[in-house]
Amino acid sequence: MKPADPRGPPQQVVIATLALAGLAGAVYSFTSALRNPAVGSALGEPLVVALLSNWLTASYVLCGLFAWWHRPDSRFGPLMVAAGFANFVSTLSWTTNDLTFTLGQAFDLLPPVIFLHLFLAFPSGRLTRPAERALVLSAYVAAVVLQLIRMTFGSFGPNNLLEVTPDADAAVLWLRIALLTISAFCLAGVVVLLLRRRGRQRPLRPMFVLLVDGFALGLVMIALLYVFAAFDLPGVRDIRWATFATLGVAPLVFLAGLLNVRLARSAVGVFVLELDREPAPADLRDSLARALRDPSLELAFWLPDYGAYVNVDGRAVELPDLQGRATTLIDRDGEHVAALIHDPALDEEPELLDGVQAAAGIALENARLHAELRARLDELRSSRARIVEAAQNERQLLERNLHDGAQQRLIALSLDLSLLEARLAGDSQAKAGIEQARVEIAASLAELREISRGLHPAVVSGHGLAVALEQLAARAPVPVELRVEFEERLPEALEVAAYYVVSESLANVAKHAHASTARVEVVKEHDELVLEILDDGVGGADSERGSGLRGIADRVEALNGRLRVWTPVGIGTRVKAEIPCA
Amino acid sequence: MRVAIAEDSVLLREGVTRVLEEAGFAVVTQCENAEDLLRRVRSVPPDVAIVDIRLPPTHSDEGLRAALEIRSTQPDVGVLVLSQYVEVGLAMKLLADSAEGFGYLLKDRISDVKEFVEAVRRVADGGSALDPIIVSTLLSRQRADDPIAQLTPREREVLELMASGSSNQGIADRLVITVRAVEKYVSSIFSKLGLPSTGSESRRVLAVLLYLRS
Repeated sequence: MKPADPRGPPQQVVIATLALAGLAGAVYSFTSALRNPAVGSALGEPLVVALLSNWLTASYVLCGLFAWWHRPDSRFGPLMVAAGFANFVSTLSWTTNDLTFTLGQAFDLLPPVIFLHLFLAFPSGRLTRPAERALVLSAYVAAVVLQLIRMTFGSFGPNNLLEVTPDADAAVLWLRIALLTISAFCLAGVVVLLLRRRGRQRPLRPMFVLLVDGFALGLVMIALLYVFAAFDLPGVRDIRWATFATLGVAPLVFLAGLLNVRLARSAVGVFVLELDREPAPADLRDSLARALRDPSLELAFWLPDYGAYVNVDGRAVELPDLQGRATTLIDRDGEHVAALIHDPALDEEPELLDGVQAAAGIALENARLHAELRARLDELRSSRARIVEAAQNERQLLERNLHDGAQQRLIALSLDLSLLEARLAGDSQAKAGIEQARVEIAASLAELREISRGLHPAVVSGHGLAVALEQLAARAPVPVELRVEFEERLPEALEVAAYYVVSESLANVAKHAHASTARVEVVKEHDELVLEILDDGVGGADSERGSGLRGIADRVEALNGRLRVWTPVGIGTRVKAEIPCA
Repeated sequence: MRVAIAEDSVLLREGVTRVLEEAGFAVVTQCENAEDLLRRVRSVPPDVAIVDIRLPPTHSDEGLRAALEIRSTQPDVGVLVLSQYVEVGLAMKLLADSAEGFGYLLKDRISDVKEFVEAVRRVADGGSALDPIIVSTLLSRQRADDPIAQLTPREREVLELMASGSSNQGIADRLVITVRAVEKYVSSIFSKLGLPSTGSESRRVLAVLLYLRS
């Protein structure tokens, strides 16, 4: 769980003071603008200018305070408040007092830079990358220094205390340098925002996207406005209105985002109701994703016995070390339970995360047990597959040894006896003895052949399932209709398992079914080998007969397949095996 | 008559060579893997090649593939396949569309020298030699409305011998009857099974096997 931030919310008196100061500043600046005729001549309609500009002051201060109150551990709120006041300071240039006028003009270029800072620092209020920090810092320096240089050349009217050597051409030159520089910084900020978006591997939450797009648009508008203003191009007035409007909407969207979080918190209520219906473990992730409003959410469960994280299916997963992903670990009664892998913006909504975690407790524990069960089942399945395979390899080796050893020697021995017999002219007693020995050897060979076949059906590995099944069908005690609808060779383990399914089923037909005919069908469907053995016997297979099938069920299940038997009394028996070919 | 042998067990290879040489065959090739066999059979074509179905390196179907290749590229060379197991499906695969100059016997049959030598000679001459197990498996197969049941015991004996490749003379010798009597039995069997009678002794092997398998 995220460690609690030691920083508490700001004191109410601080909030109230700042709010009053912001509002008072806005009202002061508004009245200054209306009383100063120079404002109207420089910027156009004074009422509109005053309204829009002070809307920025008031909305950033108030929204910033709201955010500060709600997210005391984020610096974004204070930064918004600062942006509001910076805007207020720049409007002091509308006053006619020398000191306040000069102060206002000196910081006239500060608001765009603090907007740049604010937008790049969203949502934590901190700039994490050195390059971004350097960008913002240089923008601050440029905004103040270039403006001060410009003011020394005059052209600001009688209230400019910093005028040293009046020079109209130099003033215009430095005005252009200052405006173009700030506009370049703003465009660099847009590039940073775009690069961040491209660097993300998962979609952001919609409100977040809207806000960041709004920021980028605001920066583009500022850059555009300053380029137009630098060269006094036509339409500069319209662009100014549009820029103010864009910047003025940003706090509203931000506010909506905060309210959205409050709505999200009510989503916790919905989530609790969903949990009450005991969702399947696989659906828990979806419920969590809805409650947290993060479609990219992933859920990983901690299995202490394995020392690993797994997904809901019990498959091991690595906690991502991806940029743009955050991980929240969930503990319960001091035991580590799970990890949420989510959009880092959720870190800005700790109450939501906490609420959802608290509600999800038992459901998460259930899902973790489910995942653990799946992991153990997987383990069991693969160990069974290994056991079956080891046994099969062992039997195959035995069969080979019998074939290469005892059987060959017996045949050679019998051959020697035959040659000996041919040389024994006349001695009929000896000949009879030899003949008897050869008969015995032939019987031993026949027995060995049966044992070999039982150990491992060499014909299957040598020549394929289709060839081997033909012999099974021909040897069956009832007429067997055989249909094999594929020709290619399949993996040996699969062919051997399929062979045993058919041979065991036909053996059962012989022993128990009292059938008059049987049918064997082997087809390949959707990467599965499907075997069906049907008879028209008495059905109602007893448990003993079922246990005969147990061995082949093991083989089939070890290959991730399944074996089913239907034996309705009086109708016959149907054995169906489906084994994946991949 | 010239013989090539491919068998990886030295004991058996030497034993078979001895038996065949005593019976008057010339064993021109002895080898232990399919590759050597194919090369030798191409350069020194024998009358018959005796091939173990399981040969190195994998002991799965190398011998079978060598046998099929000789049959398709050198139809004049008879092929006698020896195997640890005798399978109906495999017999049909090996026969494909002709039983001429082809044999498929259980390895155990080697020990009955007289029968074995006769089988080798038959295959070398372009005849057939199919293991009795195949024929009896096919005959034991249950059928609905079975015409085999209509055969007399004698006819059934003749059918078994005929299906495993014996010539009319061979059948006559075995059953101690005249060739003329054998011919009568054969035509009676063919009419009872509803098969068109064929002239060649090899061709009738395939016809009977296909009938029995269907």
